[in-house]
Amino acid sequence: CWVQSCRTHKFSFVRKCIATDTSQYDLWGKLICSNFKISFITDDPMPLQRFHYRNLLLGEHDVPLTCIEQIVTVNDHKRKQKVLGPNQKLKFNPTELIIYCKDFRIVRFRFDESGPESAKKVCLAIAHYSQPTDLQLLFAFEYVGKKYHNSATKINGIPSGGGSGAVGGSNQKTPFFETYSDWDREIKRTGASGWRVCSINEGYMISTCLPEYFVVPSSLADQDLKIFSHSFVGRRMPLWCWSHSNGSALVRMALIKDVLQQRKIDQRICNAITKSHPQRSDVYKSDLDKTLPNIQEIQAAFVKLKQLCVNEPFEETEEKWLSSLENTRWLEYVRAFLKHSAELVYILESRHLSVVLQEEEGRDLSCIVASLVQVMLDPHFRTITGFQSLIQKEWVMAGYQFLDRCNHLKRSEKESPLFLLFLDATWQLLEQYPAAFEFSETYLAVLYDSTRISLFGTFLFNSPHQRVKQSTEFAISKNIQLGDEKGLKFPSVWDWSLQFTAKDRTLFHNPLYIGKSTPCIQNGSVKSFKRTKKSYSSTLRGMPGSLRNGIISDPDLVPRRNSLILKAKPDPPPPPTSQDHGAEQYFREWFSKPADLHGVILPHVSGTHVKLWKLCYFRWVPEAQIHLGGFITAFHKLSLLADEVDALSRTLRQHRAGSLDAGHAGPDESRMYFRVSAHATPGTPDFLSSAFPFSPVGNLCRRSISGTPLSKFLSGAKIWLSTETLANED
Amino acid sequence: MVNITVIFSLQSLFLVGCVPGCLKICANVMSFLLTPLFHFQTSRDGVNWDLSEAVPRLPGETRITDKEVIYICPFNGPIKGRVYITNYRLYLRSLETDSALILDVPLGVISRIEKMGGATSRGENSYGLDITCKDMRNLRFALKQEGHSRRDMFEILTRYAFPLAHSLPIFAFLNEEKFNVDGWTVYNPVEEYRRQGLPNHHWRITFINKCYELCDTYPALLVVPYRASDDDLRRVATFRSRNRIPVLSWIHPENKTVIVRCSQPLVGMSGKRNKDDEKYLDVIRETNRQISKLTIYDARPNVNAVANKATGGGYESDDAYHNAELFFLDIHNIHVMRESLKKVKDIVYPNVEESHWLSSLESTHWLEHIKLVLTGAIQVADRVSSGKSSVLVHCSDGWDRTAQLTSLAMLMLDSFYRSIEGFEILVQKEWISFGHKFASRIGHGDKNHADADRSPIFLQFIDCVWQMSKQFPTAFEFNERFLITILDHLYSCRFGTFLYNCESAREKQKVTERTVSLWSLINSNKDKFKNPFYTKEINRVLYPVASMRHLELWVNYYIRWNPRINVPHP
Repeated sequence: CWVQSCRTHKFSFVRKCIATDTSQYDLWGKLICSNFKISFITDDPMPLQRFHYRNLLLGEHDVPLTCIEQIVTVNDHKRKQKVLGPNQKLKFNPTELIIYCKDFRIVRFRFDESGPESAKKVCLAIAHYSQPTDLQLLFAFEYVGKKYHNSATKINGIPSGGGSGAVGGSNQKTPFFETYSDWDREIKRTGASGWRVCSINEGYMISTCLPEYFVVPSSLADQDLKIFSHSFVGRRMPLWCWSHSNGSALVRMALIKDVLQQRKIDQRICNAITKSHPQRSDVYKSDLDKTLPNIQEIQAAFVKLKQLCVNEPFEETEEKWLSSLENTRWLEYVRAFLKHSAELVYILESRHLSVVLQEEEGRDLSCIVASLVQVMLDPHFRTITGFQSLIQKEWVMAGYQFLDRCNHLKRSEKESPLFLLFLDATWQLLEQYPAAFEFSETYLAVLYDSTRISLFGTFLFNSPHQRVKQSTEFAISKNIQLGDEKGLKFPSVWDWSLQFTAKDRTLFHNPLYIGKSTPCIQNGSVKSFKRTKKSYSSTLRGMPGSLRNGIISDPDLVPRRNSLILKAKPDPPPPPTSQDHGAEQYFREWFSKPADLHGVILPHVSGTHVKLWKLCYFRWVPEAQIHLGGFITAFHKLSLLADEVDALSRTLRQHRAGSLDAGHAGPDESRMYFRVSAHATPGTPDFLSSAFPFSPVGNLCRRSISGTPLSKFLSGAKIWLSTETLANED
Repeated sequence: MVNITVIFSLQSLFLVGCVPGCLKICANVMSFLLTPLFHFQTSRDGVNWDLSEAVPRLPGETRITDKEVIYICPFNGPIKGRVYITNYRLYLRSLETDSALILDVPLGVISRIEKMGGATSRGENSYGLDITCKDMRNLRFALKQEGHSRRDMFEILTRYAFPLAHSLPIFAFLNEEKFNVDGWTVYNPVEEYRRQGLPNHHWRITFINKCYELCDTYPALLVVPYRASDDDLRRVATFRSRNRIPVLSWIHPENKTVIVRCSQPLVGMSGKRNKDDEKYLDVIRETNRQISKLTIYDARPNVNAVANKATGGGYESDDAYHNAELFFLDIHNIHVMRESLKKVKDIVYPNVEESHWLSSLESTHWLEHIKLVLTGAIQVADRVSSGKSSVLVHCSDGWDRTAQLTSLAMLMLDSFYRSIEGFEILVQKEWISFGHKFASRIGHGDKNHADADRSPIFLQFIDCVWQMSKQFPTAFEFNERFLITILDHLYSCRFGTFLYNCESAREKQKVTERTVSLWSLINSNKDKFKNPFYTKEINRVLYPVASMRHLELWVNYYIRWNPRINVPHP
């Protein structure tokens, strides 16, 4: 591991439990606690998992401290147990330690052979480090502090993190939206007119929860904005998110708290937004607080979902699984956000109106909705770089309170998994339009996990200002010379090379993606080839007309037997007041045509379409693994195909270029994780399972499940323990 | 596959003129391949088009009548159209300029025709016909009250949808379609058993049932233990319900354990025993020397098995069968399955129960039944595969649940059955030849829609196969369209494949000579039914996870008529 954590506590003769009913699979080793993570180093080197997919920061059994949800100590002789909070005393010597993780894992250690006192020490140390009293005690500070100290002597800078090591062949940097120019470029990219970058918040002079630069209607002068800002909650005045090519803009803003001024300011803002619209269209306001579940409800749903997925005994929950899942309301909420976002797409796209997202503080639900609307409308945000820039723009810079919502300090009442909900909703779109996204579901799951690693600055703070303030304080206290920099530069999560090798990062690539342009490597340099519009649309036309709803638009097609072929009957034009009706018609028409994957994509939101994201929620549940099955097996097959075509096209180009000598491309040139190899058998590799690449290797299963024999779980994965013993020893 | 891949890849390269970004093209092609296969299109082969009317007609299909009707579309409201009725299908074409609606329904799918409204009905479109179909939809037509148009249509439909009640032939016997392959040759039992390595030292092929004298619902050719004489078989037959004695379905190529199928023993209330049956099971056990006990899976719930004693049936008791272990698999009977599917239809047609979709789905118990069937099959497959013992499977008569279990277990164990032809052979062998009562379960050409013998057992099996194909997207050569096509022709009566209850009846009716096989249609156009992800693998046992966490409602089949739900989904 390249990250050196310090203040380690090491304890030997620890047993990691694997099964409830037997100890024969338990692993012996050392438990190490640092200020970054808990590691378990097995005494006997484990047979390596047959696929080499690993996080460079974390070993197989490691848990980052910020990923710990709860620490439970147990003494089974005295039949005692205690949930360990920070600075708590432990009156008994624990025989067992159970760690509940935020990523749905549950880890259990036993201390039968280690001294009772040291067992107590390790538990207290873990409790201490995992529940820091102050933000500056999080590992990222220590790490960056050291880096600055080192660089002062070595000139060897820290990872600057502009997503430089991005993914696979992508050579684009993720814009951070920390600078004027990033915003300016975004305005130009979307072709927005009537909007300008505003820098009144430089140095966070206006608001501590807004970015330094943001985009506002050109007609609003800085002076006006400064005055208006006082009336908004958190001084969060309207922020431009994105503009449609028809000129309609997506804007987010907090509520106007000043009741007296409310109407006037509201009017001024709306007028300004209208003025920025080329057709001077009206503004459509969407009050998210009134239409969507609130953050507490979302958190409650998540807690129930987690309880159901990992804590409840597997077999006992089977009978009522569907209704239990429904009762968590998680899927219902995912649907609600997708549906609402789709309706706003209709407003922007079809009614040519600008949309203002209104929310009390404008930094929670707005993040989800603003992002989803853009993912649906703008194919750029369905690329890896684009998606990352979207998260920078609508989450990190817009002041989504990662610190509180992720609860990194474990004392927040404000915990809520809004970011996960967004990733889940994105997954639903990916599931419905698998060829529309450059990234894979593995990428989304890894991204979710990365919010739990306290090394990256990306997901550590409540606002950009907090980063600057806290890190400046920290720098001063540690005698770090900041120079011109605004606060310390933390590693960015977008610098994926910090976590994964180039080969492993290729798993982020979706082999099904139909990119507008695909980087191809030629003579060692990355080149981008633009696809012609023509070839793309001809391919689309080649798709069967039967794709959509049994609704047929091509009169030449032979009517199919056994099928009810309908042509959507055009409805009478909607009455101008009835927006719902118009939306319905818009959706019906949209769904009746083949989707242009480089255009708008709209989600299907019926109960039959919104599904549980199994990779994310079941990956640590061994009973739910499909050995040698799951979508990954199709992904594997497709990757081989894509890789083969890649190789062929390279050969062809080389052939044309006349360089017959270099017939074979090096393996590193492939964009695919799975590659055609001369010596491998063409079948599905036997390490694949529906949880790939998250296999809880080194662990074991409880019992046979649903008739699927126990031995099938043993062959690839073993498991982490659940709460069963805990319940017994209550 | 690799070769095919190369050709395919090269083609795509050259076709698009070798633009450098050819990966995108590849991706395009792949996405094309990935596109959902829920829609099925009859090949033009064999379909004639009556150009004057643009009504498709199969060779042998004759037009009976046509009428102007209002089709009450549950999704788009009433649509005026002209309906054409042939001896095979009901075909409706919209007469409205802004609608291209076409309805093409084989009469075989019709389960029930009712008149709605009377002479005094006043409401708009309240007078007409209500048609209930076997494939999860209903059709409603409104007709004019004057001129007997409804009576005519009702009578004609009733006549041709239920030909058996009118001494008319089922359409399959009139169908004159020609295909370039003959589906009837797909399954040859001798060849299939030879593929399995049979006969061998322990198992022999017997022709004792050549004229269906031993068991009239079994195939002519059976595989039985080498050590059991034909006389033994006859004596065993007396103790097995409907003489369906234990015979071999499948043998493991390496450990030589077997799957044997039969019906329940005739134990009755008094707990009768039969030495010959006991000895016969012991002989089966001994064909595999690795093990001390024979495993018996009784597909029924324990209580049902006990209840069957009252009607003379029962199960193998420990006392009588020392060397056997019996397990109940808790799969419910045909009536429970029929009612469960009815509930599914209630929540999906015409409108999907949206507000509490998951709990509504749960209350149908359909997926729970699927789970039990799969769980049972997994257990059978694991017993055999791990070499622990040979397995004997039965339910009551051994033609419903038993067929589900043996065929699914074989699908898990033997990759051959996961190919298109292999699957056809599996269906032909375990279902058709072993007497799954298709005629009774489906009610081909029969007007008695409420017949208690009807049940969606075969549909349930195909659903299980679909669930497996979802969990193992690369393991099957066929795609979803293949499964849906099979189900469509399970009802359509266009092919002879699923007609009649057993082989003896089919032979009597000369089905193979007088009708066309469904496999002729499929095998003459195989590409359409192929799964682009298929990765051929030998000797890989598939163990699906039979958990509610993975089982899904097969939306592309059960909700395919709803244009708002049925959308592409890879």
